[in-house]
Amino acid sequence: MMTAKLQITILLALAVSLIAIVNMIRRKSLELKYALSWLFVCIALAIFAAFPRSMVIIARFLGIDAPVNMIFFLGFCFSLMIIYTLTVSLSRMSTKLRKLTQIIALNEDRIKQMEQQLEELKEEWKDEKADSDGL
Amino acid sequence: MKKIVIIPAYNEIESIVNTVEDIRENAPGFDYIIINDCSQDGTMRFCTQMGMNIINLPVNLGIGGAVQTGYLYAWRNGYDVAVQFDGDGQHDAKYLNAMADYLEANDADMVIGSRFINKEGFQSSGLRRFGIRYFSLLIRFLTGKSVLDPTSGMRMVNRDVMKIYSEDYPVDYPEPESVVTILNMGKKVMEVPVIMRERQAGVSSISAGRSVYYMVKVTLAILMERMRKRRGRGL
Repeated sequence: MMTAKLQITILLALAVSLIAIVNMIRRKSLELKYALSWLFVCIALAIFAAFPRSMVIIARFLGIDAPVNMIFFLGFCFSLMIIYTLTVSLSRMSTKLRKLTQIIALNEDRIKQMEQQLEELKEEWKDEKADSDGL
Repeated sequence: MKKIVIIPAYNEIESIVNTVEDIRENAPGFDYIIINDCSQDGTMRFCTQMGMNIINLPVNLGIGGAVQTGYLYAWRNGYDVAVQFDGDGQHDAKYLNAMADYLEANDADMVIGSRFINKEGFQSSGLRRFGIRYFSLLIRFLTGKSVLDPTSGMRMVNRDVMKIYSEDYPVDYPEPESVVTILNMGKKVMEVPVIMRERQAGVSSISAGRSVYYMVKVTLAILMERMRKRRGRGL
C-alpha cells in the first residue's frame, strides 16, 4: 500500500520540517504556544509514515473504509481547528492594537501640549531673568 | 458642565472647516476634538495649520475606533458630556445646546438627534429608511425600548456611557449595536428631533454593495449584545 521509497521521502520531508520548526522556536521567531500544534502534526504524520498499519487500524476503529480518506478527513478537521484558533487570536490582537493605537494618539497629543507649555514657561523664565539682570 | 464635540474625520478636508466654524458659532459652550483616522488628503496638516484641536491616529482604525478614541479623550479629560458629530456637514451644531439641556433636564444617559420624530429635513433614501425602520423594530422587539433613529451619528452621552464606550465600542457600523449595549445595561436613551442635511462632501461609509453585510452584521451584533449578560466591562 505504501512503497518504501514514498515512506522514506515522507519521513525525510517531515524531518526537515521538524528541524525547521524547532529552529524557528529556538530563534524565538515562532511562539512555542503556536508551534505545539505543528509539532504534533509532524510527529503524528511521522508515526503514520513509519508504521502504515497504524493508519489502517485507526481507520477501521473510526469506521472509515479507506485509510487515505481518514488522512484527508482528519487533516481537514485539523486545518480547520488551526484556522479557527488563528481567527480567535487575530481578534484578540486587533482589540489590543486598537487600544494601543488610541493610547498612543492621545499621549502624542499630550506630549505636544506639554511641549508647548514648556516653551511658554521657558519664555517666561527668560523674561524674568532678563528683568532681574536689568536690576 | 464641560462639554465636548467628537468629530471623527476621514478625508474630510473640504467640510471640516465649516463643521468647526458651525460649532464655534452655534454651540460656543462646547469644546471640540477632531479624530483624524489616517486621512489621505492632508486633513491632518490642514487642521494643524489652522490651529484646530486634532488627534491623529497613527494607524487607520475605522469609524468605530476613531469615535471610541474621542470618547476615551473625553473621559480622560474629565468632560461631563460628549457628543458625536459628523465632519461631513450632515449635522447642524445649533441643536447641540438643546440636546445638552434635554440630557440634563431628563437625567438621560444618551440623547440621540433623531430625523424621524418630526420627519423633517433629509430623510435618507427609501431603502436606507427601510433598513433604519427594521433596526428600530428589532431593537424594540429585543429591548422593549423605542429608538426611532438608531443609526443616527449625532448622539450625546453622559460620563457613564462615555466610560462604557471608551472600553467597548463596535468596530464598524457601530451606532445601532452600541445603543443596544447601553439599553441592555438599563441606561436611559432618549431622542430629540433634529433636521439633517445631505452630506456636503465625502461618501457614505455604507455603499450599496456593503449594505447586505451591514444588515446581517448589525442584526447579529444586536442579537449577540442582547445575549450577553450585564457584565463587568474591561478590556
